[in-house]
Amino acid sequence: MNRINQKLQENKKLLSIYFTAGYPNIDDTVKIIQDLEKNGVDLIEIGLPFSDPLADGPTIQDSSTKALKNGMTTEVLFNQLKDIRKSVNIPLIIMGYFNPMFQYGVEAFCKKCQEIGIDGLIIPDLPVDVFHEEYQAIFEKYGLINVFLITPQTSDERIRFIDSISNGFIYMVSSASTTGAKSGFGDEQTHYFERINNLNLKNPQIVGFGISNNETFTAATKYAKGAIIGSAFVKHVTNEGIGTIDGFVNNILNG
Amino acid sequence: MKLKVCGMKYQDNMEQVAALQPDYLGFIFYEKSPRHFDTKIPELPDTIKKTGVFVNEDLNTVIENINKFNLQAVQLHGEESPFYCNMLGTTKLLETPVEIIKVFSVKDGFNFEVLKEYESVCDYYLFDTKGKLPGGNGYTFDWSLLNNYPSTKPFFLSGGIGLDQVTDIKKFKESNASKYCYALDVNSKFEIAPGLKNVAILREFQNKLGNNTMEENYNVDEKGYYGEFGGAFIPEMLYPNVEELRQNYLKVMAEPDFQKEFDQLLKDYVGRPSPLYFAKRLSEKYNTKIYLKREDLNHTGAHKINNTIGQILMAKRLGKKRIIAETGAGQHGVATATVCALMGLECIVYMGEIDIARQAPNVARMKMLGAKVVPALSGSRTLKDATNEAIRDWINNPVNTHYIIGSAIGPHPYPDMVTRFQSVISEEIKWQLKEHEGRENPDYVAACIGGGSNAAGTYYHYLHEKDVKIIAVEAAGLGVDSGESAATSVLGKEGIIHGCKTLLMQTNDGQITEPYSISAGLDYPGVGPMHAHLAKTERAEFLSITDDEAMKAGLELCELEGIIPAIESSHALAIFKQKQFKPDDVVVMSLSGRGDKDLQNYIDYFKI
Repeated sequence: MNRINQKLQENKKLLSIYFTAGYPNIDDTVKIIQDLEKNGVDLIEIGLPFSDPLADGPTIQDSSTKALKNGMTTEVLFNQLKDIRKSVNIPLIIMGYFNPMFQYGVEAFCKKCQEIGIDGLIIPDLPVDVFHEEYQAIFEKYGLINVFLITPQTSDERIRFIDSISNGFIYMVSSASTTGAKSGFGDEQTHYFERINNLNLKNPQIVGFGISNNETFTAATKYAKGAIIGSAFVKHVTNEGIGTIDGFVNNILNG
Repeated sequence: MKLKVCGMKYQDNMEQVAALQPDYLGFIFYEKSPRHFDTKIPELPDTIKKTGVFVNEDLNTVIENINKFNLQAVQLHGEESPFYCNMLGTTKLLETPVEIIKVFSVKDGFNFEVLKEYESVCDYYLFDTKGKLPGGNGYTFDWSLLNNYPSTKPFFLSGGIGLDQVTDIKKFKESNASKYCYALDVNSKFEIAPGLKNVAILREFQNKLGNNTMEENYNVDEKGYYGEFGGAFIPEMLYPNVEELRQNYLKVMAEPDFQKEFDQLLKDYVGRPSPLYFAKRLSEKYNTKIYLKREDLNHTGAHKINNTIGQILMAKRLGKKRIIAETGAGQHGVATATVCALMGLECIVYMGEIDIARQAPNVARMKMLGAKVVPALSGSRTLKDATNEAIRDWINNPVNTHYIIGSAIGPHPYPDMVTRFQSVISEEIKWQLKEHEGRENPDYVAACIGGGSNAAGTYYHYLHEKDVKIIAVEAAGLGVDSGESAATSVLGKEGIIHGCKTLLMQTNDGQITEPYSISAGLDYPGVGPMHAHLAKTERAEFLSITDDEAMKAGLELCELEGIIPAIESSHALAIFKQKQFKPDDVVVMSLSGRGDKDLQNYIDYFKI
C-alpha cells in the first residue's frame, strides 16, 4: 500500500509540511526531510521550484527564485533524493508546477519518482480533466497518488468529480487566495469546512493555506483529517535557518 | 459568409458534401417533404453544425430528435410561436443547447414588425421565399427588401439560391442589405434528385463565391485548443472565474445589445473604421503594393483599445465591479484605464517595477485616468511578472473582479475572446481593400507578434482563405542567436505559460526565460496559442527582425510617408528589406500603434 494511504489510516490528525527544495541552501533538502520526520511530522511536500509560481504568494515565490539561483533543477533534486528511502519512511510528495515536469517528460518524471520512493504529486496548474484524459494511466502505472485542490468556490458537483478521480486525499484550500496571503479562519471558512464535511467524500481532506500555528492547525483539523503548513515554515527557515525545525514543529503540534 | 446545405437524405452523399466543409448541414424532419430525412447521420467533422428542420412539430418530438441525432441547430419552418422558441431555448431536456433558427417566408413585401417578438428567443432568422409548401420552393425573393431589415440579429438568406445567383450574391454582399447576413442556405438548385446533392456544382459554387475554405481548422476548437496548443492550465482557484467566462463569452458577444454597444463605441469613441492607407512612396521604393491598416489612429494610439472596449462590456454584463490588467510598456494598461474611466469601474494595473521606471509617461497616463498602478516586485519585474501578479490578484478576488488580458494569450477562452474582439481589423480590411483594389483578399497580410493580439485580428478573417499568405514578424532583439531575443517561434519549445500550452522560451529544465527586444510590446517569452499553431502548421511564415532593422524601418516610414510608427509596428515594416514581393502583390500590413510612446527610444537610438 502507498505510504500516503497507510498514513491516512492512522487514527490521528496529520501535519503536513511544505518546503522549497534547494532553499535556503542548495544542499538542505535531505536534512530538512530527516528533521521533519524526526520531529513528528506526518507528510512532507517537497517543492520543486518554478520561475512563475502562479498560485503562490511572495514567500514561496521568493524561496523558489532563490532556490533556482542556488542551482536547483529537476535533475539536481532527483539526485539529492536518490537515497532518501535509506534514511526516512515518511510519505513524500513532490509539489510543483506542470511545465518543468512536462519538459522532463511526464512518464520519465513519474518513473523517476517511483524509483526514488516518492508517493504522490501535487501539480496546481494541471487541471483535473487534463490529468484524467492524458496522464492518469501513467500515474497509476508508477504507483503515484495525484492530489487535487478544491477551494470555497468549487461547486459540489466538481468536488464529487475530483473525489472520484482521487485515490489519496483532497487538498482543501481554505480560502480564495494565493499561499501565505491570509492567516486564520472566519465564519466563511467554518461554513465551507462544514459543507465539505457533509458531502461525505471517499477521500479524506487535508486543509492548506492560512495555517501557521497551533490555533489554526487545531481549527483546520476540527473537520479535516489534517493540515498543511507551507509559507509559515518557509518563513521560519528564512529567519531561523534549518537548525530549529524541532521547535517549529513542536509549537504547531502542542502550542 | 457561412454556407448551409439543406435537405440531406443519403448517408454517402452526406459524407461527400461534408468533405466540402460547409458550416451547416440540414436534415428535414417533415414527412411531407420529398427530402424527408429517415436514415442515420454518419460521423461528421465537428466544424459542421447538424441542423434539424421542423415544421410545426410537437416540441417533445423535436427535443427527442435533437438528443437522438446530436443536432447543434434547429430550423423552425412553421408557425412556431416565440413561446415555443423560448421553451426550446431553455428546456433542461436537451443534452446540449442548440442554435435556434426561425424561418420567415418573404414574398413581395414583408412586415418586419413580426420579428420583434422573436428577438430574444432565437439565435438567427432565416428568410425564405414564400411558396406553396413550407421551404424549398426553388426561386428567390427580392433581396433588396432586406434594406429595411430593422434588427441586428444575423440571418440566413435562403430560397432558390443556385449557381445562376453568384453574380447577384456578390452584388448583395456589397450592398447594405447584407450587413447582417450570416449565411447562405442552399438546397434544390444543387440536386441530382430530391435530397441527393451534386457535389461538383456545390464545389463550383464555393469557388466562385470565394468560400474556398481550407481544410485545416485554424480557429479554436470546442475544448479551447488550436491544434495541440491552447487549453486552460490553471490552478483550481481560478477555475470558477475562467469557467464563468468560458460559458458566457460567446453568448454575450452574440447578444444584439452587446454588438450594438460594441460597434457604437468602436465608431464614436475609438474612431473606427481605421483607414486602410495605400502607402504610395513606400510601395514605389519596394516595387510592390503596400497598404497600411492604420490602427495607430485609434483612440489611445494602438489596436489595444478594440479588445479593452469588448472586455469591459463583457465585464459589465457579468456583473463585475473591479477590473485588473497587466501591462508591459503600458499600452494595454492605458487602454484598460481608459475604458474603466469610460464605464466608471475601479481599475488596478499591474506593471513590472522595471517597466514602471522605463515607461514613466504611460504610468502618468494611467494615473490621470484614475487607475491604480501596482508594481510587480517579483521575479524579473517585467511583463511576465506583472501577468503573474494580475493572476494572483484574480485568485484572491474571484467573485467581483474581471481580468482584462491584453493579448491573445492566457487560458481558454481568452485567446479566442481577444481574437474575436480584434477581428474587427480584418473585417474592415476586407471591404476597404475591395474599395481600393476591387477584391477582398490581398496576397499577403502581415503583422508583428509579441503575444499576438494585433496579428490575430489582422489574420482572423483570412485564416481560411487559401489565396492569402500570412506573415508573422517576431522581434529578434540583438539577433536570434545572441541570447538577447524574443523570437519565440524559433527559440521556443512547447510548454505552459500563463494558463495555456504554447511555444515558450524556457530553459531545458522548464523554467521560463526572460526575452529581450528594444520593443517593450514584443518581449513576451510565449506567443498566443493560435500563432503557435500557425507556426507549427506553416500556415504563417514567421520572420525575425532585429532591433536595428526595426529602428531603421521605423525612420524610413517617417521619411517616406510622414507616419511615426510604434517600434512594434516598425518590426513588421522591416520585412520589405528581407523579403522580395512581386510588383503586383498586394501586401496589407497592420500598423498596430503610433510611435509617440517610443520617442525617447528613437531619440536615443538615432541621437536626434
